[in-house]
Amino acid sequence: MNYACTPITGLRRRVVLQGALAILIGSLPFAERALAAEPIKIGLVTALSGQSARAGEALTRGATIAIEDINAKGGVLGRPLELVRRDDESNPAKGLTAARELIQREKVAVLLGGLDTPVQLAIVPFVNNVKMPFVVPWAAGTNITQNGAASNYVFRVSAMDDEVDKAIVAFAGKTFAAKKPGLILVNNPWGESNEHGLRAALKAAGIEPAGVEKFEANDVDVVAQLSRLKQAGADSLFLVGNVGPSSQVVKSLDRMGWSPPIVSHWGPAGGRFTELAGPSAESVVFVQTYSFFGNLSPVGRRVLAELQAKYPDIKGPADVTPAVGFANAYDSVMVIAGAIQKAGSTDPTAIRDGFYGIDRLEGLIKTYEKPFAQNKHDALTAQDYIWAHFEDNHILPFKN
Amino acid sequence: MSFLSAIITGMALGSMYGLLALGFHVTYAVSGTVNFSQGSSMTLGAVAGYFFLVVWGWPGAIGIPAVLLVCAVYGVLIERFAVRPFVLRGSDSWLMATVAVGIMVDNLMLFVFGKEPRSFPSMLAAKPIQIVEGAGVYPLQLLIPVVGLLLALALHLITRRTRHGVAMLAVVQNPNAARLMGINVSGAIAASYAVSAMLAGVAALLIAPLFNVSSEMGTLFGIKAFAAAIIGGLGSAWGVMLAGLCLGLIEVFATNYLGSVYTQIITFASVIVILVVMPHGLLGRAGVKKV
Amino acid sequence: MTSRASLLVAVAAFAIAAGYAAVADSYSVFLIATIALTAIGCIGLNVLLGLAGQISLGHIGFMAIGAYTTVLLMEKAGWPYLAATAGAIVLVSIVGGLLAMPALRVRGPYLAMVTIAFGFIVEHVTIEWRDLTGGGNGLMLSAPPSVFGYALSERSLAIAGIVLVFAGLILFERLKRSGWGYAMRAARDTEVATRSLGIDLVHVRAVAFVISAAAMALAGALFAPLQGYISPSSFPFLQSVLLLFAVMVGGAGSALGPVIGAALVVLLPEVLSDLAEYRLLAFGALLFVVLRAAPSGIVGLAEQLAAKFLPARKPVAEPAAANVDAALLETHNAAGLDVTDLSISFGGVRAVQGVSFQAAPGAVTSIIGPNGAGKTSALNLLCGFYRPQAGSVKLGNRDVTGMTSHLLARVGVARTFQTTQLFGSLTILENILLAERAGRLGGLVSALRNAGTEGFARFLLRFAGVDGDVDRLADSLSHGEKRLVEIARALALRPRILLLDEPAAGLSKGDKQRLTALLRRIADLGIAVIIVEHDMPMIMSLSDLIVVLDGGKRIAIGDAAAIRNDPLVRKAYLGDAAPGEKSRAPRPARQGTALEVKALDSFYGLSRALNGIDLVVAPGEAVAVLGANGAGKTTLMRSIAGLEPPRSTGEVRLAETRIDKMPAHIRACSGVVLVPEGRQVFPELTVKQNLQLGAYARKGIDLDTEIEAMFVRFPRLKERIDQRAGLLSGGEQQMLAVARGLLTGPKVFMLDEPSLGLAPLVVDELFASFERLRIEGMTIIVVDQMAGHALALADRAYLLETGAILKSGAADIIAEDPLLEAAYLGGEAQAGAPQRFAAQAR
Repeated sequence: MNYACTPITGLRRRVVLQGALAILIGSLPFAERALAAEPIKIGLVTALSGQSARAGEALTRGATIAIEDINAKGGVLGRPLELVRRDDESNPAKGLTAARELIQREKVAVLLGGLDTPVQLAIVPFVNNVKMPFVVPWAAGTNITQNGAASNYVFRVSAMDDEVDKAIVAFAGKTFAAKKPGLILVNNPWGESNEHGLRAALKAAGIEPAGVEKFEANDVDVVAQLSRLKQAGADSLFLVGNVGPSSQVVKSLDRMGWSPPIVSHWGPAGGRFTELAGPSAESVVFVQTYSFFGNLSPVGRRVLAELQAKYPDIKGPADVTPAVGFANAYDSVMVIAGAIQKAGSTDPTAIRDGFYGIDRLEGLIKTYEKPFAQNKHDALTAQDYIWAHFEDNHILPFKN
Repeated sequence: MSFLSAIITGMALGSMYGLLALGFHVTYAVSGTVNFSQGSSMTLGAVAGYFFLVVWGWPGAIGIPAVLLVCAVYGVLIERFAVRPFVLRGSDSWLMATVAVGIMVDNLMLFVFGKEPRSFPSMLAAKPIQIVEGAGVYPLQLLIPVVGLLLALALHLITRRTRHGVAMLAVVQNPNAARLMGINVSGAIAASYAVSAMLAGVAALLIAPLFNVSSEMGTLFGIKAFAAAIIGGLGSAWGVMLAGLCLGLIEVFATNYLGSVYTQIITFASVIVILVVMPHGLLGRAGVKKV
Repeated sequence: MTSRASLLVAVAAFAIAAGYAAVADSYSVFLIATIALTAIGCIGLNVLLGLAGQISLGHIGFMAIGAYTTVLLMEKAGWPYLAATAGAIVLVSIVGGLLAMPALRVRGPYLAMVTIAFGFIVEHVTIEWRDLTGGGNGLMLSAPPSVFGYALSERSLAIAGIVLVFAGLILFERLKRSGWGYAMRAARDTEVATRSLGIDLVHVRAVAFVISAAAMALAGALFAPLQGYISPSSFPFLQSVLLLFAVMVGGAGSALGPVIGAALVVLLPEVLSDLAEYRLLAFGALLFVVLRAAPSGIVGLAEQLAAKFLPARKPVAEPAAANVDAALLETHNAAGLDVTDLSISFGGVRAVQGVSFQAAPGAVTSIIGPNGAGKTSALNLLCGFYRPQAGSVKLGNRDVTGMTSHLLARVGVARTFQTTQLFGSLTILENILLAERAGRLGGLVSALRNAGTEGFARFLLRFAGVDGDVDRLADSLSHGEKRLVEIARALALRPRILLLDEPAAGLSKGDKQRLTALLRRIADLGIAVIIVEHDMPMIMSLSDLIVVLDGGKRIAIGDAAAIRNDPLVRKAYLGDAAPGEKSRAPRPARQGTALEVKALDSFYGLSRALNGIDLVVAPGEAVAVLGANGAGKTTLMRSIAGLEPPRSTGEVRLAETRIDKMPAHIRACSGVVLVPEGRQVFPELTVKQNLQLGAYARKGIDLDTEIEAMFVRFPRLKERIDQRAGLLSGGEQQMLAVARGLLTGPKVFMLDEPSLGLAPLVVDELFASFERLRIEGMTIIVVDQMAGHALALADRAYLLETGAILKSGAADIIAEDPLLEAAYLGGEAQAGAPQRFAAQAR
C-alpha cells in the first residue's frame, strides 16, 4: 500500500552509536548544545504498531504537517522544530521507558502523548516530577489532566471522556428521547473510562441504563451482548469502540434485525466505517472534534492540500482517518509552538507557563482564545464537540 | 437471545476456531510440531485475499487458489527455516522461532497491508437470514460450520483413503518404517505445513467477510484456535473441530447467561479444567508408556 | 569456563554494575533497574525452563499478581514496602503451587496452553475486578516506597535490584548444585530413572514452579515502584514470550544466561527505538536470527568459543582415596524378593501370567526367555513401573505389591535399564551423588556434593570398575562405561534388591567378563540380584537360579545345568525346523553381486557400533547374519537401509550403483528393502492400508493383483484385511511386515529378526515362506536369534561379534563352528551341540 515514510530523524547516528555501550556513552555529561540553529525537539510517544498503528500514524502526520508549517515560517525562536517518535506498543511500561528516553536522552523540549489512557497515566507522574510539559493529543481519560499534582505539566488538546459522556447522554435524550439506553463498550481501558463516565452522566440525568455490556476488540460476533440489552428493554445504544469493533456491533445489529438509535464516542470516525459496517453504519451518530468534510476554514483547506501533497495515499478527506487524531495532533503542535514562543526559551517551566500565556491561536479545530489556565488544562470543551454521521464515505454533521 | 440462536451463533464462532485449529492438528499429526503463529498465517491469507480478490478484482476461481498457493508456500518456508533446523538439533526452540516469525509477519502486514481495517465484501455476508426472530445470521455463518466439518471429514478421509494421506499417517506412527516404504518423510512434513497454512488461508477467506481484514486480525484468533486444538487433542481432526465448537458455545453461553464480563475468564478457565480432567484433550490419546 | 571463574566474572560485573548505578544518570539508572528486575524474573524462569525443562508462556501473570499485591497491600492496607513485597511473594507462591497441580499433569504444547490460559485469566481478572485493581486504567502508587523510614529512590531501587540479581545468581547456583536442582535436571533428562532413585517427580516439579513464580513476584514488587503505575496492559502476553526468549537466548540452565538475556531484551528495543513503527519487525527478525545462530544461548556460544580458543582444562588430580571399604555396602537388613502369581496384561495381551519365584539375598536370579517372552514386563512389575493385576510381591516380610517406583526405590529396590538411562547432562559423579540421597533431597540450597558423599561415590565407581575422570558428562561415556555407572548409581541407593535389565547388551567380551565378576561381588554383599538377560554364557556362569519365561508364562525354573538340558527351553530358544526342510541340497555358489558393503563403520553418537564390515551378497543368494544380542546385526541392517541413527561411513553398492549417500526412502525405492526388527507395522492402519503403503513408491503396478499374490503367500492376512494392524497377533504382524516389504519391490530383501517373540509353529510357517522366496530367486539377508532357522535358509553366513565380522563362510560350515554356539548358548562349545545345529542346517 501507499505507506509514505515520515522523516526518521537521527536514525543512522543512533543505530551506530548505541548498543549495550549506549548506557555508558550516553551517561557522559553532554556539552550544552544550545546552538542557534539547533532544532527544538518534540517527542511523540504513541502506539505505532499493533491495533492502534493507524492512530499513531494519524498523530505522526498531524504533528509532521504542523511542524512543517511552522518551520516554513522560520520555526520557533529562530529554531526549527523536529519530531522524534517512539512506539509504546500500548504498554504503559514501554511508554514510560520511551518517554524517559526522549526526555533524558533526546532532550526533547516538550513531550507529545498518544491514545492509550493507561500509557498516559504511567507517564503523567514522571513528567510532573521532572517538570516536563506534556501535551496529550488523544487519550481522553479524565484523570490525565486532572491528576492532582501540585505542579501540573500535563495539557490536553482532545476531548475528555467525562465531558463526551455527558454530551452523549444529553444528545441522546434530546434527539432520540432515550429513556433506557443500553451501553455497549469495547473491553479496554477506554471503554472502561467511558463506562464510568456514562454511568455518572446517566445518574446525574436520572436515567437508569438497560444494561452495560462489553465486547472484545477482536470479537466477530456481538449478538449475544446485544441480545441481552434488547431483552432488558434498551431503547437506544451508547457505543464506545474503535472503528473495527464498532462495525462489528453494527453488523451484529443488522443480523438481529434490530435498529435502535446509536450514539457513539468518536470511534467510528477512525476509519472507513461505512465500508466496514455496511449501509446501517450511516445511522450511527458520533461525536467529533474536527471533520475535513464540509466547509473548511482557510487553515483546513491549506492543511488538506498539504496532506495530499505529502502523502500520496490521501486522495480526499475520506482518506484522512482518524481525522480527530490528525487534527488534535496538528493543534497540539501549534499550541506547543505558541507556548515556546511565549516562554522565549526552551526552559520547561517557562514553556509550561507559556501555555497559560497563549492569548489567541489559530488552529485547525478552532481559533483558541486563552485555551489554558492554571485550573484549565484542557483546550477543548463540550462546546467544541460536533455531532456527525457517515453518508456514504463522508462524515457530515448530523442534522435531526 | 434464545437458546437456539445462541447455539447457532456459538456454532458459527466455534467452527471458525475449529477451522484454524485444524491447521495445528495437521502438522502435529505428521511431525509432532506446530506453527505457533497460526494466527499470522491466517492474517497472511486474509491480506493476500484482500489484494487478489478485492483490490485487483481477480475472479474467485483464480483468486482463491492463488491465496491458498501463497499460504502453502509460506507454510513450506516456515517448516524449512523455522522448524526443521531446530528439530534436527533436537531442540524445542521451534516454538520460539515460529513465534518470532509470527511477530515479523504481523508487523510486515502492517506495512504491506496498511494500518487501517478494510472490509472484505462477500455475497454471502450481505443479507442476514432470519432463522429465529432476532437472531439472523449471514449465510456465510451457516457455511462455515459446514466447510469446517467437511474439511475435518476430508482430512479424515484423505488420511484414511488416499495413498498420500495414508502415507502421512504412517509418518506419524513410525517415521523409520515409513522411510523403508519409500515414503519421503521430510517431504511429508513439509507438505503438512503447506496444508496447515492453507487451512489458515481457508479460515481467513471465510472469516474475513464477517470480520474485517486488518494486520492483527489473527492474533487472538490464533490463541483461541490453539486452545481449541489443545482441548480437542492435537492428534485428532474430529477432536479439534469438536473442541472448537465447544469453545465457541462456551463463549456465547457465558456471555448470554452470565454477562460479557466473565466470558474470557470462563473460556480460559475451562481450558485449564478440561486439560486437568483430560490431559490429552477430549479425543487425544496418551502415548504408550515405555520403560 | 569453570563455575568458579564465572562466579568471579559475575562478582566483578556486579561490582561494576552497582558502582555504575550509583553514579549513572537518571535514565541509565532506570534502565539498569529494569534490566535487574527482568533478570530476577528470568532467573526464576530459568529454574523452571533450564533446570526442570518445563515451558511456561504465562509467567507474566505471576509478575502481575506480584505487582498488584504489592501495590494493594501498600495503598489499601497500609503495609510497609518490605512487608508488602513479602506478602506478594507468599501469595504468588501459593498461586504458583496451585497452578503447578494442573500444569504438571500435562506436557509439551499442552503445558504451554495451560500457562497461556493462566496468563489470560490473570489479565482478565485484573481488568474485571475493578473495585480492587482499578480495572483497565490501573493503579497508581501514591508515594515512593520506603524501607525503615528511608524513601527508596530510583537509584536505590536499581542498586537493590542489582544486589537481588547477585543474590539470585548465588541462590540459583546453589539450587543447581543442591539435591533438588540435580533432581530437576535429572527429571528433565529421564523421568523413569529419576523415579527409580526414589525421587518424587511431582514434588520436584512443583517446587520448580513455585520458585519461578516467587521470583516473578519479586520482579513484580520491584516493577511497581519503579514504574509508579501498573495496569493490565503493563503485563501483556508478548512479555511472557519475551521472558522465555530471554532465558533461551541467554542460555537456559546456566546461571548467567538469564541475566544476559534480560539485558538483551531490555536494551535491544532501546537500540531499535529510533525505528519507531519498524521496531517490532526488526525485533522479531533479531529474535529469529539469535535463535538460529545461538541454539544453546549466548552463554553456550561463549563456552563453545572459549573451548575452541582456550587450552583444555587439565584433569584435576583425584583426591586421595577416601577411607571407604566394601563393608559399607553390605546390607545389614538383607531381604529377598518373594514373587507370587504375578500377572499383567496389556490390551488383551497377557504379558505376564502367574509367574512365581523367590530371589534370595546374596544370590543371582536370572529371568530369561526368548524375545517378547515378557521379561521386561516382569521386571517393570517388580520395580513398580507397572501395577500388577494379580499376584503379590514381598520384600522380606513386607508386601510391596503395587508400590510406585519411587517408593520402592526408597525401601531398597534399585534397578538399571535396558537402554541405559543415565542423566546425560550431569557428570558421572553427580549421577551417583543424586542416587545416594535415595529421594531425600535435603535443603533447597545445600550442596549435594560434600566430602563424605563424594568419597562414597568415588568408592562406588571404583567398586563398579569405572576409571578415569569422574567429572565427565554421562552423555560422553562409551556404552560399556554407561552400564557400569548405572550399576554404581543403583548401588548408591544402598539397595537390598538390585534389578538389572539386560546389563550385558552391547558389551564387548571383556566388558562382559568384568560385569559378571562385578555382579557376583554385588551378590556377595548380601544383595538379591535379579537379572533379565539374553547373554547365555553370562547367565549360565553367573546364575544361582534361572527363571525361564515364554509367552508370559514360567516354563522352567532351576539352576544352570537343569535349564541347559530342559527340552522346553531348548525349543523355545533354538526352535526346531520343520522336518521336511532339513534335507536340502547345497546350491552352487552364485556369481555377481547384488549388494556389496565395503569398510562400513557405524556410530551411535560417539560410540562405534560397527567396525570395518565387508559383506557381499550375490543375486539370488540367501545370507544369514548371526551373532549375539548387541553384536551389531540390527545396526548393520539399518546402515544398509540408510536409517539414522546410526551414522555410517563406508561404501554400500546395489549392483553397480552406490547408494550410501542416498536417503532411506530413495534406497527403498531402488530396491533395498528392510523388514525391520519388531515388525513395525503401522498399528492404526488396516492390513490393507499397510500393504498399500508397501507399494507406495511403485508406479504402474496392478496393486490389487499384487496384494492378491500376497494373500496367496500368506492366506491368514486375507481374513484380517480390514482389521487394524495393531490388533493382529505377533505372527500375523510379521507376515504383514514381510508382505509389505515384498510389495515395495525388493532387489535385496533384508529380514531383521523375523522370528522375534513368535511361537515355534509360526516361526516354522514364516521360514517356510522365506524358503519359497529363496527358491523363487529372491536375494535375501536374514538376521535371526534362531540361528538354526537362519542357517537352514541361508547359503552363506556371517558371524558378528562386537561390531566386527568374526567369521564368514558357507552356512553348513558356520553351523558346525563352536564359536556359534558359544555366542548363542554360552558355555564353552559343548560336544554334540554343533551337530544339532548341523542337523537343522542339513
